[in-house]
Amino acid sequence: MKTLKLLLLTLIIGFSFNANAQTADEIIENYFENTGGIDNWEKVEGIKMYAKINQNGMEIPLEITQLKGGKQMTVINFQGKEIKQGVFDGETLWGINFMTQKAEKNDKETTDNMKLEKNDFPDPFLNYKAKNYSVELLGKETIDGAETFKLKLVKEPITVDGKKEENISYYYFDTENFVPIVVHSEIRSGQFKGQVSEAKMSDYQEVDGIYFPYSLTQGIKGQGGQPINIDKIELNPKIDDSAFTFPEETETTTPAEETKK
Amino acid sequence: MKNLLFTLLLSILIVPLFLNAQTTDTIKAKDLFGDLKARHIGPALMSGRINDMETHPTNPRIIYAGTAGGGVWKSNDSGTTFNSIFDEYCQSIGAVAVDPNEPDNVIYVGTGETWTRNSVSIGDGLYKTTDGGSTWNKIGFEKSERIANIIINPKNSKEIYLAVLGALWSDSDERGVYKTIDGGATWEKVLYINPKTGCADLAIDPSNPNILYASMWEFRRTAWSFESGGENSALYKSVDAGKTWNKIHNGFPKGKLGRLAIAVAPSDPNVLYTVIEAEKDNRKGLYRSDDAGKNWKQLNNDFGITVRPFYFSRLVVDPKNPDVIVKGGLTGSISRDGGKTFKDLGNMHSDIHDIAFAINDSDILYAGTDGGVYRSWNGGTTMEIVENLPLSQFYHVSVDNEEPYNIYGGLQDNGSWYGPSRSSGGIKAKDWKSIGGGDGFRVYKHPTKSIIYSEMQGAANVWRYDVDKKLIKTIQPLPKKGDPKLRFNWNAPIAISNFKPDRIYIGSQFLHKSENMGDTWKIISPDLSTNDKAKQEQENSGGLSIDNSGAENHTTIFTIAESPIDENIIWVGTDDGNVQVTTNGGKSWVNTSTDISGLPKNTWVYHIEASSHDKATAHAVFEGHTTGDMKPYTYKTMDYGKTWTNIITEDVIGFVRNIQEDYENPNLLFLGTEFGLYITLDGGNSWSKFTNNMPSAAIHFIDLHKKTNDLVIATHGRGIIIIDDISPLREITPEMMKEKVHFLNSKPTIMVDQGGFSGNFGSETQFVGANPTRAAQIKYFLPKRHTFGKMTLEIQDLEGNKITTLSPGKSKGINIVNWPYSIKQPKAAKGKTFSFGSFTSPRVKAGKYKAILTKSKETYEHEFEVVYDERTGLSKSDRELKYNTTMEMYDMTQELAYMVYELDAIYEETKDDNKKIAADLKELKETLVITTGDNYVGSAEPQLREKMADLYSKIAGSYDKPSDAELDNLVVIEDRFNKAKKDFEKLKKKAKVDDLELKTFDEFINE
Repeated sequence: MKTLKLLLLTLIIGFSFNANAQTADEIIENYFENTGGIDNWEKVEGIKMYAKINQNGMEIPLEITQLKGGKQMTVINFQGKEIKQGVFDGETLWGINFMTQKAEKNDKETTDNMKLEKNDFPDPFLNYKAKNYSVELLGKETIDGAETFKLKLVKEPITVDGKKEENISYYYFDTENFVPIVVHSEIRSGQFKGQVSEAKMSDYQEVDGIYFPYSLTQGIKGQGGQPINIDKIELNPKIDDSAFTFPEETETTTPAEETKK
Repeated sequence: MKNLLFTLLLSILIVPLFLNAQTTDTIKAKDLFGDLKARHIGPALMSGRINDMETHPTNPRIIYAGTAGGGVWKSNDSGTTFNSIFDEYCQSIGAVAVDPNEPDNVIYVGTGETWTRNSVSIGDGLYKTTDGGSTWNKIGFEKSERIANIIINPKNSKEIYLAVLGALWSDSDERGVYKTIDGGATWEKVLYINPKTGCADLAIDPSNPNILYASMWEFRRTAWSFESGGENSALYKSVDAGKTWNKIHNGFPKGKLGRLAIAVAPSDPNVLYTVIEAEKDNRKGLYRSDDAGKNWKQLNNDFGITVRPFYFSRLVVDPKNPDVIVKGGLTGSISRDGGKTFKDLGNMHSDIHDIAFAINDSDILYAGTDGGVYRSWNGGTTMEIVENLPLSQFYHVSVDNEEPYNIYGGLQDNGSWYGPSRSSGGIKAKDWKSIGGGDGFRVYKHPTKSIIYSEMQGAANVWRYDVDKKLIKTIQPLPKKGDPKLRFNWNAPIAISNFKPDRIYIGSQFLHKSENMGDTWKIISPDLSTNDKAKQEQENSGGLSIDNSGAENHTTIFTIAESPIDENIIWVGTDDGNVQVTTNGGKSWVNTSTDISGLPKNTWVYHIEASSHDKATAHAVFEGHTTGDMKPYTYKTMDYGKTWTNIITEDVIGFVRNIQEDYENPNLLFLGTEFGLYITLDGGNSWSKFTNNMPSAAIHFIDLHKKTNDLVIATHGRGIIIIDDISPLREITPEMMKEKVHFLNSKPTIMVDQGGFSGNFGSETQFVGANPTRAAQIKYFLPKRHTFGKMTLEIQDLEGNKITTLSPGKSKGINIVNWPYSIKQPKAAKGKTFSFGSFTSPRVKAGKYKAILTKSKETYEHEFEVVYDERTGLSKSDRELKYNTTMEMYDMTQELAYMVYELDAIYEETKDDNKKIAADLKELKETLVITTGDNYVGSAEPQLREKMADLYSKIAGSYDKPSDAELDNLVVIEDRFNKAKKDFEKLKKKAKVDDLELKTFDEFINE
């Protein structure tokens, strides 16, 4: 009888312990541990992804580069021509206009919001406390048929149409292997403002000791999305800084200088 | 202690056994729906009923609409457009409140509509979000049924008052005024009268939050009557934060009172307004107090002020001016002289339930009506509708056999409509056509003729509309000599025969049959209802204000089902609980529902589904919400109703209004409940809620399209929602769930040639319903989500040649991958600008293909077929000519691309040392591709690449075989290309660059 009691006690305690075992920090710790270890993650200086998207039968090759410090760009290859989009050198955010094929800067608000993400590389959860981000475990939810932990991530507030707004996203970590499989966040600007964006991740594979998702699907929650398939990931690519620099074309002289001439 | 341990032990040991026993014949579908998704098509042009409008205390861009059956919607652009933020929960909303101290994060939603008409839904409690609406938690009041107001102390967010109107159809003690001082963790009931009297309106003095005003209302509805008012209706005031309450009736009419509204002028809290429902007509109307309720003076009893108090008792005072006051009503009324005189608000949908003034400018106001949200920029004189709120409240839905098929249905207060299941550029407001007025209910297309039947409330009109000739007549049965008064339900049933296209049925208390589209009628039954006279006194209904709209007509037939197998078998269900069946075309009838186990007597028979698998089989749905019984009831008979078996499990939440049987798999059933859609794969042993883009809206009717297998759902608050092609659900078995990958069948896909122009002008801020895909679909079942390792999907021809690659779905359960039956676009020559024609992906030939799924080094194969669109009328040789010409130009485009690649490389090699050759190469290149200009109006003269691409795209994109003009033009392009090739060969030789390392053609194309 004593043993039975003990057994029951362990069952009961064990059960409740299991249910409460996971804290947000443990989930994040497990995630980094399972995907290569925090030391390896901290050593990452840059990521370059070679990917393809398929839009209604049309295949479009992409190269996405992200570097420590926030430098990033996406290069789309159309008929042998490279079109840069979302290029950020840490200060200026710009892209190529499809009509003129010339570089144009993004508006200041978008650029300022992008600057806030400089510290997100290679993963916003990496040392999130040092970035003053907050993380909260909201519970378990089934998504894509998989049981997940729902984590709320709050980053620096962003500015939207002149007003400060909280920057919240929800990460769903698979309870089996602790990798995020879905991210939800509210769309903050543009025609779809107020709707929820959904990114799904799968096909995690190893690159030099770290696991990355090789398949991403992005869209609006509930409406399906656009898949991006990654063929290759290169860690710490060598890229000249000038690739991120905005190619000035216009005269930037001030009116005062103009009169001096 | 011993006992406790023993019980625990027992429960641990027994539970798994019990679970095992259960799983042998059940298939839990919950996590298996995968890529099956609901598609919303609205419409939004008539929108739907709004219960509550709310503003944000500091940000004028943010507006909330709490809707009668469509959840909570938020606008971020001052009411230009709205987004749904409450999909997963009860969609019937009583009140929305924004915490004034933390308005971006903390919002409360009280569920349960408070405008208590006959068709009103129910709530299931109070919800709170602390993150602006991303996650919601229910914080109590599950049995409250309807919540009228939520008031947060502006000086202390932890202190909240809740007005619970409570149950409409039954006694309940969960009503009155509640208070929390800990942000909703615990509540105290601070004002309660009796189980029949709830709080209809609650107001706070914004300058002194200890002062509250509560309007208590005695009310009750049954299926056959409504009663507003009684001795217990009263207006109360508390000056001590809800501890004590006193009636403030000095100046009020004598006798019983009905529903009262109460409003405090925010800019002068001593000024109060109330609108009073009283015994005497001349004492009804608007009353004002200028001393915080000590004394009241009657100011106005105009129609606009006294009309239908249960539906319109809402007063809103301009936040900046105590003398500007708006009253809800049939048109809505506004006073600018402190309530003495009123004028109507500007033209908009009738039945105005709430108004909100913009926080910074009282010229801007938002009105919630039976037809959605309206905005005004000039103080209510002209109103414009919000065009993206798909809140349509359907009572019924049916479909036809057109391609694409059309959807027909009637709506609460918004007539009857039909619209397409697909339209160029999406299903827009302009695609919907009106097919009846009043409140709309059943609408049917004649099975073979261009005729539509529709009706308005109580079969007051049943229309027969000849769509082609535009001829309308009404055909409702009329009493002939010797007939008693015909009793038609508000939502009177009509049915179309499965056997004789001109035959229709209509139910009063009798079943009426016509063989000539309603020109002559024959009664083929006795009174099939209980004919309980006590339930037939509608002219006395309403309480203090008579309200005999026909909505309470009772002891009537509510549903008619002719067996799809035998025209002599007809099932009839009545609103007072009878399930009657005839097996001889109406000669004799049997009431089969006299003794159904677990079903209270006289429970409303909402729907009968006669089986298409077996003629003795039917499913019957009962619902008792009009007696306060919110339980789900669904039964199955396999012996013409002799015995009925319950098929509801505890999985199902909310009372049931409809069931749809699958035509192929008798165990696949779809259940429409007050809180959403449930599906069973095992004949009712277990039910799973379907939540993929499917809100928890009340479902009133479901139809399954026979040809497309689309499940078409009539929601009462979120419009029409479709789940395209439910056929994968037919195949799910416990065995296949054990396989690593299981491909699901699909019919051969037609490569549709039809196209259209979308004309999107004006739809920027409109709701546009999504179209179904036309792509071929590869469907498979995964037992587990794929997260680690590569998974790919390739399409091959039967010989194993790669056609294209696709992105496979990774979800557990059903995955659906679309393939637009094309290969990737040709690789185009590099120029200065884009050759837009070369972005065209050509279609494959009709025939069989293989899907090769690779997952964790194992591959799985599935063969499927795509076929040509016969409607286009192209012959086999036409198709061949089109395909061959398209592919000839596809290859030519890639050949040119390679040539330009070679040319560029040789130019680079020669430009410094062999300037003559380089110059010649440059000259040649300028004839091959555009080398200057931009992609818009700065474009240069098109060259060979552009001309080739344009023709390629013209031929590939046409439904037709290549025309003579196109083929002649192709000759010109070929000649020019051949000449260019020769010129290039010569230059290549002259350049003498044999050592130059170039990619091969294949390397270049596949890089």
